[in-house]
Amino acid sequence: MSTPLAETLTQLRIGNQKFLIDFYQRSRHLFARWAQRKHRLPPDKAHGLLQDTLLDFYDHVADGRITRMPEDLRAYLYGMAQERIAAQVPAHQPLPAAEASRRQRLLAQFNQLSTDCQQVLTYFYFRGYHFEKMGGKMGFPNATVARRQKSTCLRKLYDLVRGGYEPITGEVA
Amino acid sequence: MPIDLRPYFDELERFADGQMSPAEQDAFELRLEQDEALADAHAAYEQLTADLRWAAGHDTLRQRLQALDDRMNERGTALARAHHLAQRRQRRWAVWGTVGAVLLLAAGVASWYLGRPGPARPARSWEAYYQPDPGPAVTTGLLHSRPLLAEALDQYQSGHYPAALHSLGRVNPGNVGADTLLYLRGLMLLRQGQGNAAQLYLRRVSDDSAASGSELARRARYHLGMAYWQAQELAPALATLRAVAADSLSPYRASAHRAVAAGVLDGQ
Repeated sequence: MSTPLAETLTQLRIGNQKFLIDFYQRSRHLFARWAQRKHRLPPDKAHGLLQDTLLDFYDHVADGRITRMPEDLRAYLYGMAQERIAAQVPAHQPLPAAEASRRQRLLAQFNQLSTDCQQVLTYFYFRGYHFEKMGGKMGFPNATVARRQKSTCLRKLYDLVRGGYEPITGEVA
Repeated sequence: MPIDLRPYFDELERFADGQMSPAEQDAFELRLEQDEALADAHAAYEQLTADLRWAAGHDTLRQRLQALDDRMNERGTALARAHHLAQRRQRRWAVWGTVGAVLLLAAGVASWYLGRPGPARPARSWEAYYQPDPGPAVTTGLLHSRPLLAEALDQYQSGHYPAALHSLGRVNPGNVGADTLLYLRGLMLLRQGQGNAAQLYLRRVSDDSAASGSELARRARYHLGMAYWQAQELAPALATLRAVAADSLSPYRASAHRAVAAGVLDGQ
């Protein structure tokens, strides 16, 4: 039995990741001990596994695969980690099922952009900053420059999407 | 056929970002209803920005978790280093404490060894065994009858041996007796550290009075033995002291026996 959609999930969807960060800080040591006992993983590997598991959880929440907060979140996350180990997924790689997905490809293309472009797009599309605030954060002279920079970066990303990848428009119905 | 968004990009972006005027926005919304290609492009654009929102969020979370991990590792390393340093400091203190305790113990043992009473190592100096003769007591009668002898004895008993010898030289032998003067001179020279000179006087008393076996001769023999010892003539010293130790009538028998039994004269 799971609880109704919790406030935590809502917060995660709108970009508040503090819950996951706190969980990592609180549970890293215990998780590493569990991974050492159950799977003989050294601490650094266990830490990487917990990070990947939390990223998986975030993805599941973001794309709607998780709509209700699990009653025992710790057991749920440990189960996800165990599935990762069983599937022998390399560290910091997406799950095989998700690997083929459109979003994972876009994530790879997003990481090909310059750091400034990633920052600009993150401020606008993830943080929800308006152009004036984004300009202040990035050191642009005014909001118009910020808008142009965002527009340029979005086009660069779209060019990457168009070049050499499967067409994303085919999946849109 | 994949939809190419590029022909529509400007309009779609301005519409999505709220950059159109109300009139432009109304006109665009009307076109969306009528133009199927534009509607597909709009849907694709919305899909793209939704995916981008997720990708940015995912990437942000990954970076934050990585940064947190680095911070926690650094903190763990610093704590381990501090723990290691504290342990090293404790070990160093323990080593120094042990060294200090060992040195203290060694100093204690050394001071005990050097300061312990010496039955195992008998005294080697003749003075350790010497039993002095203070001479006759200086009485009022003696002062009146033989003032120079009384003065010499007083100076001898006070430790002023050169003065005592000088005073003794002025005493008339006729009033005191030659053997007594020789004996006293021998004693004074012995106490003054002139063992060789003392032997001459003490030997004369010892030899001259030996036939009669007087007490003065017995006394002189003991002091003669000691004078030999003082002069480092150990063989005659041992022989003389053995004779004294064997003489049951000698007042210095016990003292001579102690000197002989110590074996100091044998070993030297």
